[in-house]
Amino acid sequence: MEQPSKINNNEKSIQQGFSPSGCGDLISTRKFTALVVDNDPICQIIEKAILESQGVETQFVGSGIDALDLLVTGANFDIIIIAWVLPMMNGVETTRQVRAMGIRSKLLAVTACFDERKKKAFLDAGVDEFIEKPLNPKKVASIMREMKND
Amino acid sequence: MERTPLHRRVAYMRRCLFDQGYLDEQFVQLEDLQDEANPNFVEEIVTLFYTDSARLIHNIEQALQNRPLDFNRLDDYMHQFKGSSSSIGAKKVKSECTQFREHCSARNAEGCIRSFQQVKQEHTILRSKLEAYFHWQRKLDKQTESYPELAA
Repeated sequence: MEQPSKINNNEKSIQQGFSPSGCGDLISTRKFTALVVDNDPICQIIEKAILESQGVETQFVGSGIDALDLLVTGANFDIIIIAWVLPMMNGVETTRQVRAMGIRSKLLAVTACFDERKKKAFLDAGVDEFIEKPLNPKKVASIMREMKND
Repeated sequence: MERTPLHRRVAYMRRCLFDQGYLDEQFVQLEDLQDEANPNFVEEIVTLFYTDSARLIHNIEQALQNRPLDFNRLDDYMHQFKGSSSSIGAKKVKSECTQFREHCSARNAEGCIRSFQQVKQEHTILRSKLEAYFHWQRKLDKQTESYPELAA
């Protein structure tokens, strides 16, 4: 496919079906969805805003139990973000139970404090990636690019 | 464009917040999320942060009264505080939260009590700096609305 020259006008890029970044990527027409599982209201709002800025339709819940209740109804999410500290059932246990339900969504552990023990616990439970807070738009954009290329 | 004294004042205040280490890149990321639909997103998030963190501070203060200290509970509270602080780009607050958690890991009660005072201090200082910054930013926004040629 012929690579377009860099297009400065983002609207024109989008109409032509190319990423406004001018890198020649085709924009996926599929709408991605995400669930944020975090009981911190600041993180809920910020992570939702960051995901939505990347075109991801996002919901949030405040506990692992609420996340499981939602998933059991058949709700599907491409991405599930899970915090470490959650009421009643922590993030690692939530991850384990989500995977035990056969959910194959991309699971991201997003937690305030990095340590190897936590990272190993989350990875063993079944997350795809372990990210130290704050979640930022660049990180989300890179994850979205990978998912669109899969 | 830094044309008017007000422009220059707001730009200077913003530069100081970053140069003096109160804020980090995450704050800029939040500003980038602002648009016409959410023009006050950052101020709203910061306001929510201060409302919610008052609750966390209260919980930690209560927990620090108990003897013996429940370091796991204190660590969980501070973990959450660190998460929300880092999410708004509150660099010094985040750093003091890390210190507190180190004292928790070391089961150092005095260290926890001392570093919690530092957390509260940085939290308060940042609050007053951000309140002042948003106050002047709002004045600048009003000036820009009344005199759009100054924003050009």
